Amino acid sequence: MRAERRVPCRGLALLVALALAAAYQLAGQDAVPTPAPAPAPTAAATTAQSDNAAAFKEFTVRVEDYLTLHKAIEKKLPAMKNKEELPEMIAAHQQALARMIREARPHARSGDIFTPAARGAFRHVIRGVFPDPQAAAHATSRQRDRAKEVRLRVNGIYPDAVAETTFPPTLLQKLPTLPDELAYRIVGRDLILVDTKANLVVDLVHEALP
Amino acid sequence: MRRCIFLFLGILTLLTVGLVADEFKFPIKADSVRFAAIGDMGTGEPPQYEVAQQMLKARQTFPFDFVIMLGDNIYGGSNPADFEQKFAVPYKPLLDAGVKFYASLGNHDNTNERFYHPFNMNGDSYYTYKKGNVRFFVLNSNYMDPKQLAWLETQLRDAGNGGWKICYFHHPLYSSGQFHGPSLDLRKLLEPLFIKYGVDVVFSGHDHVYERIRPQQGIYYFMEGASGELRPGNLAHTAITEKGFDSDRSFVLSEIAGDEMYFQTISRTGETVDSGVIHRTIR
Repeated sequence: MRAERRVPCRGLALLVALALAAAYQLAGQDAVPTPAPAPAPTAAATTAQSDNAAAFKEFTVRVEDYLTLHKAIEKKLPAMKNKEELPEMIAAHQQALARMIREARPHARSGDIFTPAARGAFRHVIRGVFPDPQAAAHATSRQRDRAKEVRLRVNGIYPDAVAETTFPPTLLQKLPTLPDELAYRIVGRDLILVDTKANLVVDLVHEALP
Repeated sequence: MRRCIFLFLGILTLLTVGLVADEFKFPIKADSVRFAAIGDMGTGEPPQYEVAQQMLKARQTFPFDFVIMLGDNIYGGSNPADFEQKFAVPYKPLLDAGVKFYASLGNHDNTNERFYHPFNMNGDSYYTYKKGNVRFFVLNSNYMDPKQLAWLETQLRDAGNGGWKICYFHHPLYSSGQFHGPSLDLRKLLEPLFIKYGVDVVFSGHDHVYERIRPQQGIYYFMEGASGELRPGNLAHTAITEKGFDSDRSFVLSEIAGDEMYFQTISRTGETVDSGVIHRTIR
């Protein structure tokens, strides 16, 4: 009797083990896709890269100009390189910095830093990473959802309570690196340049994403 | 036959639910590194406070010295009242006891949290620190620019192979969470460095569940995104899931002694939901 019982029990265990093993084989984590070999650059692509480089250089000069202004203004405020910072001090510093930067550039408008050439270059690079709306939407879905709640303008506060701070890392590798005081953000289909210490919108490119 | 099935299912349930783990004990060795990990906690809601109470209770028997914060530290704004309600008040007993907190930034965090002294970020959104034989690398996964990647590579290389290397940041490279899932773009950038320079363990949050991942390329991954927020039933339990818990909030305790890392994950109600030991292999 006992022998008769053991056989189905062992058989059941074996079946379960096989099923589990098969499940582990089949259900895999999303693999990192292997990139296709890059085609040789065409003459048009080389020209575009050269144009982008020139536009990014112009953008970087404008960023440096802004940074000089930012640093000059921040020097007038108590230093923030933390030791005993209280939330009140952080908020006060952020608000004072934003106010003083606004006062220093009262006529700031979209295009001051993202010049027309730079906008073209950013759009070109972004479309290289996200060739279609689906790819862009997949990478920035949360930011897109939030766009309905956020209205951004140059010299306005970047509303951290509702907006996401995450930026697609693959795209970030292709854009000009910014100083610590500034960061790129995406809200909806717009590319935003934010002063992170002042939490201020410095410039933006509408419909930068496909 | 029926008894056999019940017996088999019983053993399976014990292993799955982790009741065996309730007997887990930390060695609490003299020179060990002892810490807690919390993620996605800054809601200011009662469950966050209840998890904080469990942490305090756990510290009576497991005296951890510091807490690693896996991001989304302060949800919904960065006014002084937010810092109070979502950090200073719930963790006050731990702060008063001298427990240090080391924060990373999540997608809901204002980057100026890096200046908040109790977060010990010293004004930097990514930084490194050492405790005993463990080097911690705290990354800003919101903004993985070339500058941060270059910094990470330098730091990992300079750390050598003498001790543990633990990285933590908000977005998980591996996750079976159904809401967010793994950050594949980030994995492409970080995993090669982790492998090349022998990172041992990675902690992250973002998906509001707990998951311990089967070792990937020799690296152990923990996701603790439910120390305040929770998405009940959101864990898919895929082939990479070593252990998961998605029915309540939780936090992780860990002790590193020599080449062993002991860990125990505890729920809001004090139940042990996971535990084990990781042995460090020098790669």
